[in-house]
Amino acid sequence: MTMRRLTPEELSARSRRNLAIAGAMVVFIVLVFSVTVLNLKRNIDARKEAIAAGQPVEYAR
Amino acid sequence: MTETAPQPAISMAQPDDFFQLLKPRVMSLVIFTAVTGLVVAGGDLDWLSSAIAILCIAVGAGAAGALNMALEAETDALMRRTRGRPVAAGRVNKNDAMTFGVILSVFSVMLLGMTTNWLAGGLLLMTILYYAVFYTLLLKRRTPQNIVIGGAAGAFPPVIGWAAATGQAPWQAWLLFLIIFLWTPPHSWALALYSAGDYARAGIPMMPVARGAKSTRLQILIYSLVFVPVAAAPGLVGLGGYLYLAVSAIGGLGFLFLAFRLWRSRAGDQPDKAEAVGREAALYDVRVEAKPARNLFAFSILYLMALFAALLVESITALPGLS
Repeated sequence: MTMRRLTPEELSARSRRNLAIAGAMVVFIVLVFSVTVLNLKRNIDARKEAIAAGQPVEYAR
Repeated sequence: MTETAPQPAISMAQPDDFFQLLKPRVMSLVIFTAVTGLVVAGGDLDWLSSAIAILCIAVGAGAAGALNMALEAETDALMRRTRGRPVAAGRVNKNDAMTFGVILSVFSVMLLGMTTNWLAGGLLLMTILYYAVFYTLLLKRRTPQNIVIGGAAGAFPPVIGWAAATGQAPWQAWLLFLIIFLWTPPHSWALALYSAGDYARAGIPMMPVARGAKSTRLQILIYSLVFVPVAAAPGLVGLGGYLYLAVSAIGGLGFLFLAFRLWRSRAGDQPDKAEAVGREAALYDVRVEAKPARNLFAFSILYLMALFAALLVESITALPGLS
């Protein structure tokens, strides 16, 4: 079994890729969180409007 | 640091190489047409959802580009125009590009569906599959009509934008689709006329390679004669206003003039300049006799951008129209 030490260039390239992946993951998490909050808000607003219009509303069972 | 297993050469790919896999220049046109579809459609989508939708469409289109580069690495390496691409040049591993494309496809479709609706998500998925599988794997090497049929992939973004905004894809959205669909053949064949050597070397039956330059010039003219009236149609059916009508009419006349001049020219009859000099030539650096092809190629991009820009401006400012 042979082992070798990575060159500084290889380490640097890998480090940059890792940072890019981390950044992309953070963006994705923020986006999914934002979408979830938006969808919750839409549903709450729709429920309020339904109540204001006198329509029967109930929680999903 | 040391590794515990036999270590193959580690990738030297930089984040920018992965960004290049997304074909950023193509992506900019996708973003522009998708934004136009989304804005023209109206609807009550809030700005944050709209921004996420456009991001998803852009990333989905980029993912299709990454899959295309992974699948066509050998072909790209044979062509001067594409041999600098990350996979063809060996900077990014083929499997890495494929994985990158699949992951971005899944995430973009999923997020678009969650944010807007699943009609938009489904259309984005269909676009990715159409481009990466149907066009790249099945069509491109089989028929000179590759770009005609495959051009549909590039025409979907305004329909996806429309669907994202309203949850529907009415005929007006498909009219925008038709404009880009009919624009693609004259645009792509004009480029192919002065880079045919690349396609011939790679064994891709683009029209100038398969049918010759003369036939290609005639087909460009015929497609232009069909495309220009269709491009004016949104102004006649109330989708666009006076500004759109003016842009489509003036630009359309320019388009027809350039297509006619190309038809009368000898563009593509001689090997292209890159072939002649035996090295990479700049995209717009062509032989004198090929200039009509270059001019139509450049103008076609400008014309499409102007058409969609006019629609966008009219939608935002609510300028008057015929209806």
